[in-house]
Amino acid sequence: MSTDGKPDPSRAKAELKRFFSERPLPVVEMNPRNLRNWTRRDFLLLGVGAAAALTAGAILLPKETLRRVGLQRNVDSPRGEWLLNSALRFDDEVATALYSENRLVPTYTKSQITPLKNNYNGATPDPGYISGWKLALDGLDSGLRMSFDTRTLMTRFALHDQITRFVCIEGWSSIAWWSGLKFADLLDAFPPKPQAKWARVESSVNLDAGGNSDPYYVAIDLATARHPQTLLATHYNGQPLTVDHGAPLRLLAPVKLGLKNVKAITSITYSAETPRDYWAERGYSLYNGI
Amino acid sequence: MNAPAAVSGTPSVRVVRKHHLIVRVSHWLNVPILFGLIGSGISIYWASPVYQHKPDPTTGNFDFVADIGIWVCGHVPGLKGYANPPDWLYNHFSLGPGMLAPALRLHFLFAYLFIINGAVYVMGLLIGGGWRAVLPRRSDLVGAFRMFRYYCILPFAKLARREWRPPVFGTLYNPLQRAAYFSIPVAGLLSAATGWAIHKPMQLHWLAVIFGGYNSARVIHFWLLWVYLSFILPHVILVLADGWDTLRSMIVGWSTKVGPARQGRQ
Repeated sequence: MSTDGKPDPSRAKAELKRFFSERPLPVVEMNPRNLRNWTRRDFLLLGVGAAAALTAGAILLPKETLRRVGLQRNVDSPRGEWLLNSALRFDDEVATALYSENRLVPTYTKSQITPLKNNYNGATPDPGYISGWKLALDGLDSGLRMSFDTRTLMTRFALHDQITRFVCIEGWSSIAWWSGLKFADLLDAFPPKPQAKWARVESSVNLDAGGNSDPYYVAIDLATARHPQTLLATHYNGQPLTVDHGAPLRLLAPVKLGLKNVKAITSITYSAETPRDYWAERGYSLYNGI
Repeated sequence: MNAPAAVSGTPSVRVVRKHHLIVRVSHWLNVPILFGLIGSGISIYWASPVYQHKPDPTTGNFDFVADIGIWVCGHVPGLKGYANPPDWLYNHFSLGPGMLAPALRLHFLFAYLFIINGAVYVMGLLIGGGWRAVLPRRSDLVGAFRMFRYYCILPFAKLARREWRPPVFGTLYNPLQRAAYFSIPVAGLLSAATGWAIHKPMQLHWLAVIFGGYNSARVIHFWLLWVYLSFILPHVILVLADGWDTLRSMIVGWSTKVGPARQGRQ
């Protein structure tokens, strides 16, 4: 501001320049003894920090990794596990807070479709199970245990098409065209008991790598099940699902990572308590919302 | 200020306050945090490599990073008999192959710490006033080129025992340093943003769009690793070359390079 009260542009510019320009470092004069104490304190702090970082490494790193660098930790480290699990739970809380039932995931056109590989963790089941396949529904408000075959499901419920991105925890993704009934429609037609918060979605025909029975079960929160784009898919690329993609019915929740999208679902059970989850028991997140 | 300090007869030394305590603490915290993020990050990369080629007919390998391991084991003496060459790089620079679950847990823990620590670091720069010294200037393009030329010729000048003096800028950092120290927090911000974009591509879809979609956000997130590595290596070498005072100042905060004398030595 100039003396007559009007703003002076050149002065303001100089002020601005001065604000951004480098200042000389503050010089301190001190007793050499104090400087030595100060220096000793900071070096000790660095040493303590370095020791803490090494300890954290020894606690947090997996045993296999330590063995690779020639170190050995024979015991499990409950504190390290606790910290890593806390981070995972915190991250799940963040994901739950980010989730909105009204936010739709982006949809794509048919020209944007990309190939989707069969990523069955174990062996792909023999298609023999399809002919006698039934979906069991439990934990309902009615107290009944229901059972459906494919035809009943497809005639009773409207089928919806959607082309969405399918994201795997490994990092790859695929834009795929699915059709199926809305999970929300099934929930409306056969409501779960009022206290239910979760659905346990299971495939009893799942196999391990050796081809032995290895039932696959995931915990799906009902908020995700009710999402308008969460499907119980019956078709892939306009064709009935093949065994590779989970015939005759698979979960398709685009707001979750692929590992929640159970193939060849055989039962859905609603519960108030958190159900068991195949991958959460193997060190992955429980929520897996994306 | 320039007068001798022996006023009352007590001995006295003059030093400058160079780095704020908050800046020093968060600077060193970045060492274990980046270690954790890079080690777990490469393990996550293993699960689905960004850069793939057609599977090799003999080994079945399709991962360019695994190829590096194969090359190293084929050319470095003493590694010729390495049990699993495609795993060599993952065994030495990550948690290891097939460690996706522990790698993700570590990566998330360290990612949150990295974001918090980065915010603290920037706060330290603001509180301590250090931000002014790392802010790039308009003249830095030319200055950075002069500095780059200085570094390129320096080894030859040393070999020829010829005097080769650095350009003088009269500022705490030279233009190349300013560019480096300014771009690293920017890279940190980009790492956090691309990380969130690939972590929550549906709820934060707009963020993925900024980086050109999910796949390209993944690629950018991966390449930021190379930004850190190409900063850290010269950073460590140049600090050691610059001398004890420079390294010590990041630990204790003070430096004995007081007044105009310091300028020529940067």
